[in-house]
Amino acid sequence: MTTESTAGTAAPRTLAEELRQRDDASLATLLRARPDLLSPVPNDLTQLATRAGTRASVVRALGRLDTFALQAAEALAVAPEPASYEALRALLAGDDGDAAVDGALPGAVATLRAQALVWGGDERLRLVRTARELLAPSPQHPSPTGLGPAVAEATSGMSPGRVQQLIEAAGLTSTHDAVSAVSALTELFTDRTRMSALLDDAPVDALDVLGRLTWGPPYGQVTADPAAHLRWLLDRGLLVPTSPGTVVLPREVALHLRGGRAHRTTHPLPPEVPPAAEHRPRVVDATAAGQALAAVATVEELLKEWHEGGPAVLRAGGLSVRDLKRTAVALDAPEPTAAFWVELAYAAGLLASDGGFEGASSPYGEGDAGPRRAEERYAATPAYDDWLELPAAERWARLAVAWLAATRTPGLVGGRDGKDRVLSALGPHLDRSGAPEVRRRVLDLLAGLPQGAAADPEAVLARLRWERPLRVGATSDPSGDDLRTRLARWTLDEAELLGVTGRGALSATGRALLSDTPHRAREGHRTHDGHTALDGHSALEGHSTREGHTAREGHPAFERTLAALLAPLLPEPLDHVLLQADLTAVAPGPLERPLAETLGVLADVESKGGATVYRFTPGSVRRALDAGRTATDLHTFLQTHSRTPVPQPLSYLIDDVARRHGHLRIGAASAYVRCDDDSVLGEILADKRAAALRLRRLAPTVLAAQADPAALLDGLRSMGFAPSAETPEGDVLIAPAHAHRTPPRTAPAPVPEGPPLPDDTLLGAAVRAIRAGDMASTAPKRPAPTPTSAPGELPRTTSAETLATMQAAVLTGDALWIGYVNAEGTASQRVIAPVRVEGGFVTAYDHTADEVRTYPLHRVTGVAELGED
Amino acid sequence: MAGPLIVQSDKTLLLEVDHELADACRRAIAPFAELERAPEHIHTYRLTPLGLWNARAAGHDAEQVVDALVEYSRYPVPHALLVDIAETIDRYGRLTLSKHPAHGLVLSSTDRPVLEEVLKSKRVTPLVGARIDPDTVVVHPSERGQIKQTLLKLGWPAEDLAGYVDGEAHTIDLAEDGWALRPYQKQAVENFWHGGSGVVVLPCGAGKTLVGAGAMAQAKATTLILVTNTVSARQWKHELVRRTSLTEDEIGEYSGTKKEIRPVTIATYQVLTTKRKGVYPHLELFDSRDWGLVVYDEVHLLPAPVFKFTADLQARRRLGLTATLVREDGRESDVFSLIGPKRFDAPWKEIEAQGYIAPADCVEVRVNLTESERLAYATAEAEEKYRFCATTATKRKVTEALVRKHQGEQTLVIGQYIDQLDELGAHLDAPVIKGETTNAVREKLFDQFREGEISVLVVSKVANFSIDLPEATVAIQVSGTFGSRQEEAQRLGRVLRPKADGHEARFYSVVARDTIDQDFAAHRQRFLAEQGYAYRIADADDFLAG
Repeated sequence: MTTESTAGTAAPRTLAEELRQRDDASLATLLRARPDLLSPVPNDLTQLATRAGTRASVVRALGRLDTFALQAAEALAVAPEPASYEALRALLAGDDGDAAVDGALPGAVATLRAQALVWGGDERLRLVRTARELLAPSPQHPSPTGLGPAVAEATSGMSPGRVQQLIEAAGLTSTHDAVSAVSALTELFTDRTRMSALLDDAPVDALDVLGRLTWGPPYGQVTADPAAHLRWLLDRGLLVPTSPGTVVLPREVALHLRGGRAHRTTHPLPPEVPPAAEHRPRVVDATAAGQALAAVATVEELLKEWHEGGPAVLRAGGLSVRDLKRTAVALDAPEPTAAFWVELAYAAGLLASDGGFEGASSPYGEGDAGPRRAEERYAATPAYDDWLELPAAERWARLAVAWLAATRTPGLVGGRDGKDRVLSALGPHLDRSGAPEVRRRVLDLLAGLPQGAAADPEAVLARLRWERPLRVGATSDPSGDDLRTRLARWTLDEAELLGVTGRGALSATGRALLSDTPHRAREGHRTHDGHTALDGHSALEGHSTREGHTAREGHPAFERTLAALLAPLLPEPLDHVLLQADLTAVAPGPLERPLAETLGVLADVESKGGATVYRFTPGSVRRALDAGRTATDLHTFLQTHSRTPVPQPLSYLIDDVARRHGHLRIGAASAYVRCDDDSVLGEILADKRAAALRLRRLAPTVLAAQADPAALLDGLRSMGFAPSAETPEGDVLIAPAHAHRTPPRTAPAPVPEGPPLPDDTLLGAAVRAIRAGDMASTAPKRPAPTPTSAPGELPRTTSAETLATMQAAVLTGDALWIGYVNAEGTASQRVIAPVRVEGGFVTAYDHTADEVRTYPLHRVTGVAELGED
Repeated sequence: MAGPLIVQSDKTLLLEVDHELADACRRAIAPFAELERAPEHIHTYRLTPLGLWNARAAGHDAEQVVDALVEYSRYPVPHALLVDIAETIDRYGRLTLSKHPAHGLVLSSTDRPVLEEVLKSKRVTPLVGARIDPDTVVVHPSERGQIKQTLLKLGWPAEDLAGYVDGEAHTIDLAEDGWALRPYQKQAVENFWHGGSGVVVLPCGAGKTLVGAGAMAQAKATTLILVTNTVSARQWKHELVRRTSLTEDEIGEYSGTKKEIRPVTIATYQVLTTKRKGVYPHLELFDSRDWGLVVYDEVHLLPAPVFKFTADLQARRRLGLTATLVREDGRESDVFSLIGPKRFDAPWKEIEAQGYIAPADCVEVRVNLTESERLAYATAEAEEKYRFCATTATKRKVTEALVRKHQGEQTLVIGQYIDQLDELGAHLDAPVIKGETTNAVREKLFDQFREGEISVLVVSKVANFSIDLPEATVAIQVSGTFGSRQEEAQRLGRVLRPKADGHEARFYSVVARDTIDQDFAAHRQRFLAEQGYAYRIADADDFLAG
């Protein structure tokens, strides 16, 4: 579809007309920048223009403007409508001109045009009405410009006589027509020369008052009997009373005093993000790789810690503060960092709540026997076991990809939400839809620096603030804090923890991570915020599946590419350790998995980092024996994996423990202790600490206990024995550590705000569809088909007509008869009383269903008024 | 190529000793990292604030520290760790104590907020006087030690540049006839003198007394020497007469029996800390002369009251001598702030390699308890358990076997429990030295032992410290003060003095198997293994049979 037919016609009279004149590419740009306009696909350009003017959509579009584009919009909102480009330039650059503004303004206006916030030619720029309402100053919503109402508005409530007095006091020729009187006054105020002359006569005090109000807020308090200098100002309309006791500085006066500038300072250029420190790229990559390895190891350690069932899920969801503390201690990290690791594992789908699923219980129960309702706990998912099988680099890639796309923000953990609820790790209310965009934008800024260069975090934050200034009174975060800034800070910290950056500079792997992911925003820094009313509506089925795909399934190919980049930087896993006489083993690098696992059972980890220090203790050796190893196994294992001879004390330790291990055997059925060596039993019986176990000698080699077997085991161990449990058949019972897993779980989907960004195919199709619909609706009118009100037949009207009728009905409160096709394609007729028409939906009281319902307009086949037959 | 050092996130440094760069790396990190363990393959160093400040006091800066780590590290050093190091080092020296021509002792700062911060502390307020200017505040001269201690606790250690009084001059020279200070001893003296005050860490048997003598020869001033006990005091005297120009008359002994105050006075910790009617009557010793140097022997044993006196001695030069900075009571920071930073440190193994101390063969002998002993052990009260297993009859038999095995060699049997020692003495037909043995008898027995007139001596823990038995080649430890690591090191020191014939020293530890004796032994030996003394384990039956 081309625009030849309309090209070159007269200036457009409405936004719809202008849109009709635009080419397909520019429509596509509009739809890409404001994807909410596409849900659902509008029938024609009129509908598109209407939707682009709805409040929700305009608020969202304004929220996405950079500082200067927003300033331009604010300036337009205080300019007379329509304003010429030149007038706009004057408002931003001031009377003296400003080269930077001149350079940046065309771009800003183009942005506003592309977003359909501004339309009309350069001579007649118009801000979309809703935007104007939002940005224009009013007593309730002061404008960031600090300007008050125009003279015409300020004097609208004034009696004609009073206006006459003003005219005379200002030295203008009197006229009886109030309208021309006001415009004469406006003319005077906007004429710099005459105005200066007028002010030259002003009392000094009066100028002082003006000076205080110049940059806003423009309202001031006066007493019932104002002082002379105030009276001087009031008499000339330089101050206008708005309500008893309050006066306002008219916009034109303020602009005169400001030298024509709508803003005290303009920010035409984005603040630069200069390199703050330069490192050799090799150092950066190596540091990042080291941290990447640490990240993978930490997540593994976390889930190992929770191997046999993690902490309980709070009733309200999430991890209790105490459990988070405990986890932080286990990971040897501060709590916020621990929260990050927990959330990262969650986002990557490696851990989840088990939903109260009861795993196999331990052989003897945990002491208090009897049926118990299984407590809901956190645990590793089956996906974790698969993840563990991957090479380290791929494990990292999985984490990094999940991190970049996640909307969960661990940085919020420990804080409170708008309802003063404490936000807990893994708990609800941690999703922030803006997070992925901020993350990407921060990394993009780092990517803009030369390789190896780190940025000053404050510069990054300043740039982000410029790109998305917070509009006064438009904070979407209930806490009122600048969420974007906090997100950006967290991003910098988290990127370093994860090894996406090293020493503050983006690593090569980090760059690759940015290069491609399905969530890539084409315009770099467009993010969504605010809340959407669209989620959950049937209209979105089509999109939500797409979105589910993009966010969830992982991207094996991409992850492998990333991993391939990272892998050469990671140290090769080792197959050996160094054993020392002080009963330690040092692994001077990461170990191969089976080796690390066995060693982890046989010895306690003493120090972590690039290397791992293990310490052998009687307890750790016994643990290995309990896990079914024999002393011979352990000796062979150590010999095979040690680079150096096994130190004698270590061999002795293993033999010593093994000699005593299993020496005592304890049965479950009747809780007995038996031992071939009856003196040992004598020893136990003689020990006072055994009293609690209530032991009785049955035979020279057997003791019976009243205590349950588990307590018996513990008791004897605490007395320094190494008993082992036995089965009814008399074999040693091996109790391997029981792995606790959740049922299959999918990782949480990021919760993006608003509809997903349409891809090019969809955009093309949408534009074609809109054009086609538009052709149909604007084609030379045939005689309008008589509304068929034959019973049983759905009313059919064009979408423009439907919309108009609906809107009219909202105003009149009339009930309408509509035809409606539901998501399954079933047609029905309903009688509704529309309450609100917005964003492509009509909310109405449905008389047929007797409740308030919301219908997507595009499913309404037609509408007819009631009561005609 | 991969470096020899691995920097762990918990601030330990692992050094692979077989690596070709290991030596260079060790030298680079030794100034700021404390050697924690030195087993055969991988040495563990630890980065602590005190260690970093020690380095800073010795003139190293953060950049050198970071460079050393980055240079030798095998893996990238975590950025956070480097930042932390730089910040920690930077804390030292922001505050300095110095002499002001008009106001006397002052605390001044190059960083005003730091001064403000510490002055706000309640613990600092009583120690300081008027503010002279925004960066300087007067300190009561008597509180020089107190304020250093307090500032260290606040994390802002002050550099003490206030200087020292010279003290009463007294000529002391080393009498280097036929011997000379060993190179490391010279280095230690030099480092100490240059630093003003501080601690020299040398292994037992490495000649700490001579470092003290060297320092005195530098100071050429009256000297107060504080030692652990009377025997040790006599040895100091003996050694000083032999090695320096001092005569017997110039050296006084201030102990329970004698109260001499001479230009060089040797006092015991015990007499100083004796309390009568709530006061320390012997404190006047510190003020009795204008001391130019105070030497603290065995700093790691310095009793708490001595710290308190030392706080008042900050204007005098102080030399601490010790084999280890590890204090079982964890008061290392007081040593740092009151005596001074570490000025010299040499690992045992290195000095052993230079031939100055004898290599030792450490053997743990495991003894099986008899059935009746096990039963008795099980029924013993918790607090009696150690005593019981440490003094079993089986142990005695094994000890006798060991003594027989080393017949003809000078053998020490060391133990904790007097009745056990008496019994052993009776069976071995050897004299017993214990707490009640008079000093005269002790010295006579030591002399006889030195002369070889007696070859076996049974000693209690009174002989733990500072006795010199040059010809003891075998030490048999039958029981110890539970798990004291420091005691183990001292006892090993008994046999580490170089032997005339270059004979290898033996150190036996007799341990009852499967009892807490074994647990304590493991704890003590861990210290030895960490010092690089690999020990063997042997079964008692091997000795009993053979």
